[in-house]
Amino acid sequence: MPRILIVDDEKGLRLGTSRLLTAEGYEVDTAENGTEGIKLGTTNDYDLAVIDMKMPDIDGIDVLKAIKEKRPNTICFIATAYASYETAIEATRLGAASYIPKPFTPEELIKQLESGYEKRLLLLEAEKLKREREERMLEVAFEKTRLNTIVNSIVDGVIVVNKSGELVLFNSAALKYYHLSNSMIGENILTFIHPKISELVNNFFTSEEYLDKSFSEQIELKPDRELVVDVTCSPVPQVDKSLAGVVIVITNITELKKIEHIKSQFVSMVAHELKTPIAAVLGFLKIIIDPEFKLSPEQQKDYLTRSEKRLVTLVDMVNDLLDISRMEIGTKRREIKEIDLAEIIKSNTDFLELELKKRNLTLNLDLPDGLPLLKADYNEISRLFTNIIGNSVKYNRDNGSIDIKIKFENGNLITSISDTGIGMKPEEKNRLFQEFFRAKNESTRNIPGTGLGLSIVKRIAESYSGNITVESEYGKGSTFTVIFPLKQSQ
Amino acid sequence: MEKEIKTILLVDDDIDLLEQNKLILESKGYHIITAENVDDAWNVFKKEKPDAAILDLIMEEHDAGFILSHKIKRDEYGKNIPVFLLTSATYVTGMKFDASTAEEQEWIHCDGWFNKPIEIEELARKLEECFEKYKSK
Repeated sequence: MPRILIVDDEKGLRLGTSRLLTAEGYEVDTAENGTEGIKLGTTNDYDLAVIDMKMPDIDGIDVLKAIKEKRPNTICFIATAYASYETAIEATRLGAASYIPKPFTPEELIKQLESGYEKRLLLLEAEKLKREREERMLEVAFEKTRLNTIVNSIVDGVIVVNKSGELVLFNSAALKYYHLSNSMIGENILTFIHPKISELVNNFFTSEEYLDKSFSEQIELKPDRELVVDVTCSPVPQVDKSLAGVVIVITNITELKKIEHIKSQFVSMVAHELKTPIAAVLGFLKIIIDPEFKLSPEQQKDYLTRSEKRLVTLVDMVNDLLDISRMEIGTKRREIKEIDLAEIIKSNTDFLELELKKRNLTLNLDLPDGLPLLKADYNEISRLFTNIIGNSVKYNRDNGSIDIKIKFENGNLITSISDTGIGMKPEEKNRLFQEFFRAKNESTRNIPGTGLGLSIVKRIAESYSGNITVESEYGKGSTFTVIFPLKQSQ
Repeated sequence: MEKEIKTILLVDDDIDLLEQNKLILESKGYHIITAENVDDAWNVFKKEKPDAAILDLIMEEHDAGFILSHKIKRDEYGKNIPVFLLTSATYVTGMKFDASTAEEQEWIHCDGWFNKPIEIEELARKLEECFEKYKSK
């Protein structure tokens, strides 16, 4: 039911119009002067208003102006007996829909109001649509911002293409792999990205029906494991389950691949190192068994002794490997106590007394009293020094000397072990702590070892935040220095 | 006519394997001279001019045998004798090939490639084949 306001100082007209329009189905309010007209017209949202031009208090034009300002969608008509071109222009300029000359017939009025009401409905509809559109745009903008924020916060590279292979969306992480820019949106990028990725994407394009699954592949974007990625392509469906496009997710797995490579290299190396002594033992056994070789009993015994030696080394190696593995996994049980390095050194060197005498090696110990104690596992620290001191004997020359010193300096317990042995070449020194590295030359040939000792020593030192370094001169001797910081380990 | 006894230079830094292979090759009627490292091997090669050389691939350095075989094959005398490489470690170095095609031989600079432990019958057959080949050149 249209709501209408009649503003007129003429009582008869107000009543007559009111009666007429009520009968026509309008809801009618009336105002007898301009002031009241403004009051009603601005506080209520009337569909229509008929305003008399000439009123004693306020001019109809001002009433129109006030109502239009507050209620721009109220369709206003100006009624007047003093019609003039100028006032008509003025009224239209101020927003009046039309101009009703007085006196008017009921038919004339109704006709005007009906078209006015139609206009009002259109205006309201347009207004509603506009508001809805604005709201939706706001919503979309918000959604888009939110989506962008989410997509950009993903660590993996995300690239979306439509079903023609044209770039639709990408996140900042994708820029680590490809130089994409907003200006490329809409461009076909299948020739631009790695052919293997294009191939994955093409799986979806060439399939006749919609593929509801993902395709993954590990791809080396830069050779020699410099940049390896895991690429997963998944379909983006339309509402009707047809293909809208493809999402490409790129995960950097370079570090993982590097670790994998190091691990498999290590396994190969272990296999080789284990195979060599086995091959030697097997070789000897075959020769002993084979009657063709006609070995003397002495020769047989020699070969068996050598086989035994290789097997002892092999068992040592397996034990060392198990220790390394336990250290790596951290399953090695540790008993942390306060231990005295000087005592460990003494008990180690006591043990070597016989060997020192045999080779006429001089041992000089500089172990001051009252050194701070180290909190560590006794067996591990003992093993560390057994190895280094053992090396200083093994690789020494006869009649040489070994110097062992401990000092406490700047919160560090520093032990240095020097020998007058064969020393090392710089390139040997650099590889010294690598697994299975053994300096091979005339003088080391007959010295047994697994090639794992120093690598274990280094692991032990580092597990107590310590460090081990070596100074060496080829042919003159080496000095190993083991540093344990007390602050961290206490 | 009695067969001429061929001298073979055998190089391996594992003295146990060196001795075993020496015995095995001697049992096939070859005269074996040995060296335990690349430097000695080169000196022995220059001095003794063996009829063939069998080198372990991995010695002090991972490719020591490889380099030695190149050196021998570049030598005026050495280019006309068979040179074989021995290895148990193709999977360590990642080098997986044999010397069956001419192209591979050109690149590897050796006449054959044997896994350890050596199959003596096959090695002896290959040696004789190569002796024939070089004789006819």
